[in-house]
Amino acid sequence: MLQGQVDSVHFSDSVGRNSIGSLSLTSSSKVPKERRPRVLVVDDERLIADSMAEILEGAGFQAATAYDGWSALQVAGILQPDYLLSDVLMPRMNGVDLAIAIQKMYPAARILLFSGQAGITEILRAAQNQGFQFDLIAKPIHPLSVIARLKEL
Amino acid sequence: MSYAPKSPFPGAPTQMPKGTLDPRFYLAAIVASSDDPIISKDLNGIITSWNEAAERTFGYTTDEILGEPILRLIPPELHPEEAQILTKLRAGERIDRYETIRMKKNGERFPVSVTIFPVKDDTGRVVGASKIARDISDRDKTDESRFRLAAVVESADDAIISKDLNGIVRSWNDGARRMFGYAAEEMIGQPILRIIPLELHYEEAAILARLREGERVDHFETRRTRKDGSTIELSVTISPIRDGSGRVIGASKIARDISDRRRIERLLIQSEKIAATGRMAAAVAHEINNPLEAVMNLIFLARQNSPPTGKAYQHLKMAEEELERVSHIARQTLGYYRDAGLPTEVFLHELIENVLTIYRSKLLAYGISVDTQFNDLQKVMVSRGEFIQIFSNLIANALDAMPNGGVLQVSIRTLISSAGDGIQVVIRDTGTGIRSDHLGRIFEPFFTTKGDLGTGIGLWVTKQLVEKRGGQISVASNTEPGKSGTVVSLFVPFSAPALKETA
Repeated sequence: MLQGQVDSVHFSDSVGRNSIGSLSLTSSSKVPKERRPRVLVVDDERLIADSMAEILEGAGFQAATAYDGWSALQVAGILQPDYLLSDVLMPRMNGVDLAIAIQKMYPAARILLFSGQAGITEILRAAQNQGFQFDLIAKPIHPLSVIARLKEL
Repeated sequence: MSYAPKSPFPGAPTQMPKGTLDPRFYLAAIVASSDDPIISKDLNGIITSWNEAAERTFGYTTDEILGEPILRLIPPELHPEEAQILTKLRAGERIDRYETIRMKKNGERFPVSVTIFPVKDDTGRVVGASKIARDISDRDKTDESRFRLAAVVESADDAIISKDLNGIVRSWNDGARRMFGYAAEEMIGQPILRIIPLELHYEEAAILARLREGERVDHFETRRTRKDGSTIELSVTISPIRDGSGRVIGASKIARDISDRRRIERLLIQSEKIAATGRMAAAVAHEINNPLEAVMNLIFLARQNSPPTGKAYQHLKMAEEELERVSHIARQTLGYYRDAGLPTEVFLHELIENVLTIYRSKLLAYGISVDTQFNDLQKVMVSRGEFIQIFSNLIANALDAMPNGGVLQVSIRTLISSAGDGIQVVIRDTGTGIRSDHLGRIFEPFFTTKGDLGTGIGLWVTKQLVEKRGGQISVASNTEPGKSGTVVSLFVPFSAPALKETA
C-alpha cells in the first residue's frame, strides 16, 4: 500500500517527458486522527490545477493534481479521492467521461465540474442520458466560492 | 337548258323567264352559301332539303340524306326530342336557339344551337319545318375555358385584381377580399391607390407607365394597406391586358402575401446574430476565462502568503476585487449560454420565487412590498440557470430603481395569442423610471444608468437569453413623478426554437 510509505509521488507520461500530475502524501507518523478529505484537481491548464490544489491544501484538503482525464484516472487509483474538481474540455478524456468513471469507481466521491468554455451542453446531455448529472460552475470563479461549493456537495 | 343553281327547295322553279328576278333565287343562293347548316323537313320528320354547310357539318351529301328521317342526325338517346319538336311545329310554334347535341355521319356528336321555323303553305297550314343548326363546339370550348378560368381566379389563395389604365379596379377576387379585407363591391370602380400606402403612391404611376409600354412587372416586393389599416408585405406580378387588336387596356395583378416569409427572414437574421455572438463568445471564452481563473487563484495565494498587516496584502485584496468585477462580466458575457445546464420543464413562478428569496433581505431593507400573481398553469421547457439569471437581472434592476421603497409587482399568466401560445411574465416597479432617451439604449451592451455600480451587461444578456429561447422582451417606463415606474414584459413561447448549439 502506498499510503505511509512515500511522501511524494510524481507522475510522468509513458516516455517520462512530461509531468502529468503529482500527489503528496503525508507519512503515517504525521496522519492526524481525523483524515483530511482527499480532492483530485484536474485541469489541462496546469497553472489552474496547481494553484487550485495549493489553495485547497490551505483550506484543509489533501489535494492531488492531474492535467488530463486519462492521467487523472491513474492518480485517482492511488488517491481514492473523496472529491473530484475537474475541467470539462481536456485532451485524451473529457471531464464528464472522467467524472462518470470516477463515480463508478468511487460511488461516494463528490464531483464538481468547472469550465471556461462553451460547447459542453452535448457532453453533459450524453452523461445525463447515461443517468449521470454533475454540478457545473463557470470559470472564472473565486477560489473561496469553489471551496464553498465543494463543501455544499 | 340554262344554268340554275341546285335548288334546295324541290318544287321551286328552276327556270324563269329571262330578265325576271324571282326573289326565291336570292333565297336559294343565301341558303346555299350560308355557313350554318340549313335543313328542311316535313312533318313526318323526313328531310326535304340540305345545303352545302349541312354537307360539311354532318358529312352526308344531299343525295344521301334527302328523303331520310331527320332522326339520323339525332343521337338515339335524344330521339324523344324530335317528337316534342314536331308537336310544337304542328302547333305553328317556332323554336329559338335550342341547344342540343347532334350526330355526324361518322357518329361523332357535337353541340348545336338549332332554330326551327314552321313552313306553311298558302293556306297557312304547317307543312314542314326549316331548321338552322349552328355548330357551337368552338363557342362551348371558349365558354368552358372562361368558366374554368373564373373558377381558378375565384378560388386562388393569391389576390387577383384587374384594373384599367387609369388605375381603377375592374375585378377583385375572393383572395383579394381575404388579403385586403375589402369586398369586391367595395373596390370595383375604385382607384387602386386605396390599398397603396400614401408614401408608396409614386409606385403606381411608375407601374402604370410600364404597363402602357406593354411591359410586365415581375415579383415586385412592396407593401399594401388593408382595410383595417394594417400593413401587409406582398410580392406582386402585374401584366398588361390587351384587347383583340393588341392595345393595352388594363392590367392584371397577382399579389402574394409574403409577410410570413419576411417575418421568418427577420427571425433568421436575428438568430444568426445571436449565433454569431455565441461563436464570438465561444472563441474568446477559453482564452479569457482560463487565464482569469489562474490569475485569481495566484493573487489569492499571494495574499494568503503575505502578512495581513502589510501593504502587499491590501494591494492584493484590491486586485482581487477588481478581478472579481472582470470575472463577473466574463461569466455573464462569455459563459452565459453554457453554465446554465440543460433545459428542463419548469414552472416559471418557481424560478421567480427562488429569485425573490435571494433578494428577500434587500427587499426588506429597501421597504419594498411584493405583489405576486401567478397564473402560469403550464410548465415550459427552459434552462433553469438562464431563466434564474434573467429574472435575477430584472428584479435586481427593479430593486435598484426603488431604494426608497415601493411596490414590486410580478404577474405570470398563460397567454394564447396569434403569435403562438406561451407564458407571459410582467415585472412592474414603482421606481424612478427610465428616461425616454435612455429607453432605446437599455439593451445595448455596457450601457448603464447606474454609474459605477452598473456593468451595463444585465439587460443585454437578458435579452440575448430570452431571444435565444425564442421569446420576446419589452420595456415601458414613466419618469413622471408620482406615476413613475417601469414595466418589463417577457413572453416565453411553449415551443422552443430549433436553434443549434452556438459553439
